[in-house]
This record gives sequence, C-alpha cells and structure tokens, in this order.
Amino acid sequence: MRVLVIDPDPARAALVAEGLEGVHPLEVRRSARFDEREAVEFAPDVVVIAAESPDRDTLESLREASQSNPRPVVMFVDRSEPGLAEQAVRAGVAAYVVDGLAPARVRPILDVAMSRFALTQQLRGDLAKVKADLEARKTVERAKGLLMKERGLDEDGAYRLLRKLAMDRGKPIGAVAADLLAFAGVLKGDAS
Amino acid sequence: MSGLADLKLGFIPLTDCAPLVVAKSMGFFAEEGLDVSLSREASWATIRDKVAVGALDGAHMLAPMALAAAAGASGGLTLDVGPSLIAPMALNRNGSAITVSKALAEAMRAADPQAMAEQPVSARALARIIAERTGQGAAPLTFAVVFPYSMHNYELRYWLAQAGIDPDRDVRLVVTPPPRMVEQMRAGEIDGFCVGAPWNAVAEREGLGEIVIAASTFWPGGPDKVFGVTEAWAHHYPDELRAALRALIRASAWADDAGNRDDLIALLARPEHVGVAPEALARALTDEIVFHRDGAGVPRREHALWFLSQMVRWGQVSAGADLEAAADAVYRPDMFRTAALSAGPMLDPAQVFADAPGDLAPLFAGPDFDSERAGPYAAAFSIGRARA
Repeated sequence: MRVLVIDPDPARAALVAEGLEGVHPLEVRRSARFDEREAVEFAPDVVVIAAESPDRDTLESLREASQSNPRPVVMFVDRSEPGLAEQAVRAGVAAYVVDGLAPARVRPILDVAMSRFALTQQLRGDLAKVKADLEARKTVERAKGLLMKERGLDEDGAYRLLRKLAMDRGKPIGAVAADLLAFAGVLKGDAS
Repeated sequence: MSGLADLKLGFIPLTDCAPLVVAKSMGFFAEEGLDVSLSREASWATIRDKVAVGALDGAHMLAPMALAAAAGASGGLTLDVGPSLIAPMALNRNGSAITVSKALAEAMRAADPQAMAEQPVSARALARIIAERTGQGAAPLTFAVVFPYSMHNYELRYWLAQAGIDPDRDVRLVVTPPPRMVEQMRAGEIDGFCVGAPWNAVAEREGLGEIVIAASTFWPGGPDKVFGVTEAWAHHYPDELRAALRALIRASAWADDAGNRDDLIALLARPEHVGVAPEALARALTDEIVFHRDGAGVPRREHALWFLSQMVRWGQVSAGADLEAAADAVYRPDMFRTAALSAGPMLDPAQVFADAPGDLAPLFAGPDFDSERAGPYAAAFSIGRARA
C-alpha cells in the first residue's frame, strides 16, 4: 500500500505509518506540500490531507486535469467543527474524518475510503459501458431491420448473417452493424 | 435578543472579502441583530465543502464555483452530490489581474516591443517566446490560477488563446492558492499567474513580477466573487439571509466610498484579514475594484451565462447542458432585491434597485458576448475544448 501524506508536520505521517503497521508492502511518504509531479511519480493508493490544508485546491484541480489517474483522498479535520461529522456523512462525504486521527482508526478509515472510491469508479465505468452497450444494441437492431428488408430474411436469419460477418472480420457485431448501416447510407446517397 | 441565529461566514484572504470584513468590523451585522463570526479559510475547496455541509452558513465564493455543480460539472472531490449553492449577491466587480515574472516581462518586451506597447497588452509577445521555446525543446512555461472554476482561470485562458496560445498544450497550467502565488514566483516555480488583489500588487512591490493586464481592462466591470449559501439554508433562514444581505450591501457602499479608503485599507491589512502591506492593498482599491456602485451587488444573469459559456468552451461542462437553467438556479437577483428594498432609506435606490444595471462592456477582444446565445458564443472561439 502506498500512502501519500501531505502535511508540513511529520507527526501525522508517523501516526499513519504506526496505524498501518503490519501491512506489507507499505510505503508512507510525507510531503510538506502537494507536488503534482511527485504525486504522479509516486502513484499513491490513497492521499491523506488535512481539510484545512491550502493544498486542497491544487489536489482537486488534478482530478479535473487527469481523469485517468484519480486517487482516493482522506481528509482530516483537527479542530472540532460542531455538526460537521454527521452532516458530512449525510452529505456523502465519507472521506472526511473528524476530530483528528488515532493510530487504531487509520487502517479502517483508509480501507473504507479506498473501497468506496473503487466502488464509485466501478459504478462510473459500468454506467459508461451500459450506455455503450445500449447504443450498440440499437445499431444491431437497425442493421437487422435493414437486412430483413433488403435480403428478405427473418429476424433470426438477419442476426445470424450479422454474426457471421462479425466472425469473418474479427470485429464486434456492433461495429459490423454500424459499418453496414454506413454503407447502406452511402448507397442510398445519404453521404458522399 | 433579536431572535436571529448566529452566523459563521468564511472568507479567503483577498481584497474582495471586504464586504464581509467591513460588515463585521463596522457593526453592520450587529445593527441587523446578527451575531456573525468570520472564519478565514485556506482553500476554496474547504469553503465550498464547509458551506455544503453546514459548517459555514455562507461565504465569500468564486462565482463559477457556485455555478459548476448546477451545470453538471465535476465540481467536487468529495461531494459527488452536494447541496445546491446559490449566489444571492455579487461581492465585487474587477479585481483580478495577470502577472508575469520580471524575467518573463523583460523577455516579452525584447521579443515584441510593439505588442507590449499596445494597450491593452495582448499575449502576442508571449506567443513568440513560447514558439521559440518549443523550437528549442525547452520545458513549457508554467502559469498558475486559483481554482479550475474561477474568473482567474477563464481570464488567463481567454487572454492566452486570443494570441493563439493553447492554454492546455502550449503552457503548463497549475492551481495554487492566492496567498502562495508570490512565494511560488519567488521560488521560480511559476512564470506567471492570474489571481485576485492584492497578490498581483504584492508581487510587483517585491520586485518579483509585473502586472500585464488587469481585469478592469480585460473586461471593464466584469464579474468576480459572490456571497454564496446553500439553497436549503436560504430556505430555512430567510430572515437571517435578508439581514446579512442588508449588512453586506451597506458594507459594500461603505467600502466604495473614497472617504473610507484609508480605514478600509487598515482594516484589510490586519493579519486576521488579508495581512499584507497597506500599499499593496491600495492599488486595486484605487479605480479598480467596485463593490457597490452601478448595481455591482446585483448577481447578473449575463455574468453567470458568461462563466457558463467558458465552462463549455474549456470542456468542463458539456455543450448540451442547460446553461440558462443553471444560471437561474444559482444567481438570485430576486433575493438581492428583496433585501435591498427592505434596507430603508440609507441606500441610494437608483443604484441598488435598478432592474437592468446597464449594458455589459465588451471584453478586450474576441467575439461579442450575447447572453441570449451563450452556447453558440462558447463555440465561436478558434481555441477551445467544447465537447458534446
């Protein structure tokens, strides 16, 4: 596990390391300040930062810039903010940890942050895939309709022909269907 | 006992936090029956999160930060689905500027003295330097802005792109909190930045940088910060919100009055507020920042739509987003007017109650901005990242 602790004070990094004792392999690195290049090179599994750190805006902008390389972030609030804990949880800010940090809490907190982050990433990925699948299915339906009309095939026959074309060309059936529709368009004069 | 709830309001050390600091220090909040504590925060992300979860009741905010979530941008690291933010008041117009390091300013004058002599200064000289550096295989120049969703980001990108510099390809853009801009320039980590007052003037006074263009030249009377709260808070505390807005309106008028300027500078210079030399604060407070006059406090729909057009231009928001709906959900001139109308005769009605606070001034170059057609405007730039 690679943990990047951004804190001018070495105490918190030491505490994180203590709390993660027994985790192998483990690398806890501390930076007084967040440095983009260093963070990319170190590729941490999780970033630990105080909610009051001025580096938060820089860290946040990274997510804007590099959607491809996001990292879960755990934030600590040293000063007790009345109401922040329950409000944060209610608002879905599970990565906020209120009232400082004790070694015994480090591991569960980091585990929760990482698994929640992985889940969110997976949900985002799944959503994108569902959207793409839906598009592909629509394309296949339209290609089937075209084959049924032009070749006088029934639905099952049209699908088998598409599948054969896909296997012959080593391409996904959605791509073959899209090609077929594009060529049909050209033949009908939709595009030049 | 006024019966009003105590308020905690956040700010970032910048000259345009003045309405909050003045309303507190001059007793305008107290006269409205509000017990307000001010909390100086270290980052915009913290301000946004604390307002969102209720640790702050309201705050000094970057206007685009409040708009981002409503327009469907990935506005937060932690708050995937945060409460809606609204802007019932604009805190100021103008105030930011683009500053380059002394060395870069000299190189720009050497590269294209004619372009540097023009007013307003374009980035043409910078474009030449960048082309030369690219030819030599040198590392790209680094520029800093304060937040991805900020006037400063859009102002710098616009100015660079207008001279043919692609801000995502030809330079390295980083995010740095305002108080750190100057020390990063001193350390040679950044070659230029766009930040709010007083940090540009601080860099100049320390002999580290030169201001090349101020927001008041880039877009006279252009928007900047707002007072932001959550919609839920505004709904639950309408009396507190109205009282706070009245105090802030009075404070803005006070801050605009040239007769109060020395007192304002002394107030902002205090370490618990902005904490810089009075001389550095004086610069933007002289003929730059406007807090109140010309209806500066009205959160204008056109300003929101310009910010949203730039979010589309740079790919932060998809081109299909409903910009007008986002602008109307976040910018609430109705709340401003209700508060202003309840403020009594201490304010000049002509300034505050004007329904249409005048035409927008044109930006320093580029296509004309038509707020009725913000989407097509966003697509009209030759350099941009607009996505479907």
